[in-house]
Amino acid sequence: MSSLWQEFKKGITIENPTFVLVLGLCPTLAVSTSVQNAIGMGAAATFVLLGSNIFISALRNFIPDRIRIPCYIVIIATFVTINEMVMKAYFPVLNHSLGIFVPLIVVNCIVLGRAEAFASKNKVINSIFDALGMGVGFTIALIIIASIREFLGNGTIFGIALLKGFEPITMMVLAPGALFTIGMLIGIINFYHLKKKTHKEIKKVGCNGCK
Amino acid sequence: MGGKNAQREGENMQMLRYGFVLLIICFFASLTLSVTYKITHSRIEAQAINEERDSLAEVFPGATNFKDAVLDSNSYYIAEKDNKEIGYVIRVQTKGYGGLINMLVGFDINGEIKGVKILSHSETPGLGAKINEVRAGEKVPWFLKQFEGKFAKNLELKDTSEGIQAITGATISSNAVVSGIKKEVTEFISRLKL
Repeated sequence: MSSLWQEFKKGITIENPTFVLVLGLCPTLAVSTSVQNAIGMGAAATFVLLGSNIFISALRNFIPDRIRIPCYIVIIATFVTINEMVMKAYFPVLNHSLGIFVPLIVVNCIVLGRAEAFASKNKVINSIFDALGMGVGFTIALIIIASIREFLGNGTIFGIALLKGFEPITMMVLAPGALFTIGMLIGIINFYHLKKKTHKEIKKVGCNGCK
Repeated sequence: MGGKNAQREGENMQMLRYGFVLLIICFFASLTLSVTYKITHSRIEAQAINEERDSLAEVFPGATNFKDAVLDSNSYYIAEKDNKEIGYVIRVQTKGYGGLINMLVGFDINGEIKGVKILSHSETPGLGAKINEVRAGEKVPWFLKQFEGKFAKNLELKDTSEGIQAITGATISSNAVVSGIKKEVTEFISRLKL
């Protein structure tokens, strides 16, 4: 059970797809202009990730190595299309705001990346937790980026104006704003990560390490 | 000789096996897709029709019925109230900054605009996309609200109450909407009178 929890947790922390693996940046840049879009995209990507991970993991002994990529793409594309149809039929509002990005989940490197790196080598149950972890990690990353961008670039969060008389920095909701935000966040995360690591290393070698 | 042939045959068999695996996967993929399509298809269509009906009512408040009509192979709607023709709703397509802007425009028989709704656009978020921005507590995007009650032939971008106020930093998008509506609506009216 604890190993499954590890599988889940790593997607959010040490193997976060956006901040650590730096995968799937294209949709991240595109939809992180508002928190609402971020949640929608995160949920849609998680669904696809879950479906593709389950099937690819279940079929891992059936799919020959040499043609694995076309097989994965067919499975992923199927789930994306199902997702799109269901969204169009039952969540038209969400479909309007996510529009073009949903079909683009097909080429989201997180989905193919997890299929290749994890689902094709692990049991179904582990793959489910891996998919959930990655999906949640991706969603959380999107929400963090979108909150910063929506607040600074539009003066709102969830479409609700927070500060009166605040002049929004329009650049933040444009593409450069996304790059700045993601760069800063990755920088901060790496800074703390490295600091912790070096502290540990210094403790290990003691003061001799400085000689 | 024989060994080479056998090897080639083995490779061919391998190829066939790959093809077979792909065939099976694609078969099941298309099967699930067609089932999903069957389930969602009618709802998606109903959704589209509903959306269109709602949009028509939005761009022409006060009309009780909309009738399909065709002018020079372009379809449009006749807005009716108590079985009397009171105006029209047409589709307007114009070239914005990021691509085509598709709109639905309602106006009465004199060319007074009743409402504008943007069906799709690909303007820059935060700038041009504000043509469709709804302010908190309001229902109609503020930029499009300005068109209501104005005559199509008098439309222009201007910083007064008679003109349409442009969106800061998005003059191309603002102008595209204004000139697109002006051109299409006046043309439609003059063609209708011929």
